[in-house]
Amino acid sequence: MLEIIGNIFMLSAALSCLLMLLPPALLFTGAPALRDVCQHLAALFDTINTSVARTVMWLALIMALVQVGVVVMRYVFGINFIWLQESIIYMFGFLFLLTAGYALLQNEHVRVDIFYRDASARRKAIVDFVGTYLFLFPVCILIIWAAGPYVARAWDVMEGSREASGIQAVFIMKSLIPIFAALLAMAGFSIATKAVLVLRPTRQVTN
Amino acid sequence: MAEFIDSLIICWCACAGWLDIAMIVTLCVLLLAGYPAAFSLAGTALLYGLLGLSMGAFDVTFFSEPYPIRIFGIINNQVLIAVPLFVLMGVVLEKSRIAEELLDNMAKLFGSMNGGLGISVTIVGALLAASTGIVGATVVTMGLLSLPTMLRRGYSPAFASGSIAAAGTLGQIIPPSIVLILLGDQISNAWQKAQLQQGVYAPETVSVGDLFAGALLPGLMLVGFYLTYQIMVALLNPKAAPAIPQETGATYSHILIAALKTLPAPLLLIVAVLGSILGGIATPTEAAAVGAAGAILIAGFRVCPKTDWKGRPLLIAGTLATAVLLLLSITLDLRVGRQQVNGLETLGIFLATLCCILIALSLASSLFALLREKMLAPVVEKTTTVTTMVFTILIGAALFSLVFRGLGGDETVAHALSNIPGGVTGAVIAVMLVMFVLGFFLDFIEITLVVVPLVAPALLLMGVDPVWLGVMMAVNLQTSFLTPPFGFALFYLRGVAPDSVRTAQIYKGALPFVLIQIIALAALALFPQLATWLPDLLYGS
Repeated sequence: MLEIIGNIFMLSAALSCLLMLLPPALLFTGAPALRDVCQHLAALFDTINTSVARTVMWLALIMALVQVGVVVMRYVFGINFIWLQESIIYMFGFLFLLTAGYALLQNEHVRVDIFYRDASARRKAIVDFVGTYLFLFPVCILIIWAAGPYVARAWDVMEGSREASGIQAVFIMKSLIPIFAALLAMAGFSIATKAVLVLRPTRQVTN
Repeated sequence: MAEFIDSLIICWCACAGWLDIAMIVTLCVLLLAGYPAAFSLAGTALLYGLLGLSMGAFDVTFFSEPYPIRIFGIINNQVLIAVPLFVLMGVVLEKSRIAEELLDNMAKLFGSMNGGLGISVTIVGALLAASTGIVGATVVTMGLLSLPTMLRRGYSPAFASGSIAAAGTLGQIIPPSIVLILLGDQISNAWQKAQLQQGVYAPETVSVGDLFAGALLPGLMLVGFYLTYQIMVALLNPKAAPAIPQETGATYSHILIAALKTLPAPLLLIVAVLGSILGGIATPTEAAAVGAAGAILIAGFRVCPKTDWKGRPLLIAGTLATAVLLLLSITLDLRVGRQQVNGLETLGIFLATLCCILIALSLASSLFALLREKMLAPVVEKTTTVTTMVFTILIGAALFSLVFRGLGGDETVAHALSNIPGGVTGAVIAVMLVMFVLGFFLDFIEITLVVVPLVAPALLLMGVDPVWLGVMMAVNLQTSFLTPPFGFALFYLRGVAPDSVRTAQIYKGALPFVLIQIIALAALALFPQLATWLPDLLYGS
């Protein structure tokens, strides 16, 4: 059963790689229909990334508060809850793996911008477009491809914590790794689309 | 024809030995294009990985299997969890304008003497260490806050911009900066590896605490050097750093009271966080969480009067409760779940529980006030994006080092280092020079994650002290960020400085600080005890 689900996932991941071809197709043809499709898809992906990130970002605060609670309980009352300690690791994993795509959209990933900063909009668009296809998409594909079997093994045994009283959901945490790549790829799609729109401006007013 | 193709293939495969070097060169070139560094790192690695595959230099299991395990290792790293917590603490202090107020009051306090503004910038830069990981962020903040004021008050543009650029990089070497956490993590891995290679199977460990302790004295020494230089300028050339004329109506005692209202709380917080790490009482992660909570309380206290939420008494109660809780836990054994708990201890446990409830309530009240002021969401969002930025680079760098290792880069680096004339000293100097040059192109985090795992094991094998090496690297990078014309800090300052400040003036202002840095580096090289004495004292050798 799990194997079938896993295969479906990998198949759909492979199929969605085809979507990555849309922005270059738009760049070379400039077809208005393609432009609409790309823009709608990009908007959809942006909504997904934004709503996921705006939700999980609160974990930054919650994990700090929980950690304070753990500290007080441990140092004052001498109580240790392994599951509580582990929950911080889970929150941390959710926090940074599920927001990387959003940070890319917000341009919060650090660039070596000695030249980029003063470059023209067109040159920036070229860097963004080429970088997305040369670096970002291949890396996302690599992560999903490499993490697939790794995650599948974890699901196979429903991998849990090494501690009996820990959180028994390591397989879920491991599943975040391909999701991280998928969210990044979505952000990459949106960046590529925006770059194409700069490189191939249209006289039509689009909303 | 077939022979020709065969010889081509042989030739192609013979090039495989050079792939590791080519990969680093390519990385530097591609990074300059300006695509986000995390993906440039991973993407370059992947391209070279595929090249290596085509040459038969290694097989695909070399990175397909370990990579997800590496990523999972990053999630599961107890030490690195301190990073988002320290970032939260720093962002709270920044967004609630506590940092700004600190700078403002400090400037008023010292402003009436020559060079006073410059001195305040240096001190605040040192205090803001927790939020400084990324050179750009601090320099930009400090530049926006203080450069216009300094120029308006008649400071020489060169002296003002030099002071700000230097102060902006200062926070990196002063604990608890997040780059020191990352550096500590890398050095500790390298140290384990070096000892295993020497056949030590129960290796000593180097902790982030060790590196914090090691960096403290050199950091304070730098602060001292900076201040000495600034006072000298003020004495010898008062026109470059004039005093602020006394504001009418504001007596010195007023200013002192205002300063006393804002200074102690953040100062106490930073000392408490650092002290508990250095004293070995708490892990960096624990201390960071408590520091973040403390910052939230201070911010709540500042923000409360601006809202209609009357939470201040609760906040004072919460602060008092913290003190009581500390006293109780020092004097009494409050551990629950023991066989025998006497009456006094029961009372203590009861009181302590009460204190905890009060603290929780005051935290909630602070958060509520911040939420009302629409500050909480931006704080949380900024913390999140900085965190994911740092850790995405970690994920990218993990692939880079996997492929580099797969291409035999480890041996190349070790071989190269051992062949440098001058033995250990020569090797250290070579590494420092390379890092210095890389500092022109890459930020602290990338250099730490890419270069340290490559060179540190080899250097440590030669007998270099890990803490000393870490501190040397940190001061060296900081120097690189300040050095004209490529220094990172100068670029960022140029970005926020008004056009009236000429670039040449920024360069000129930075030079004396570069000289100071070089003196500090030389001092560290001649007297390694500067870095190793405190950790040895605190944790034993």
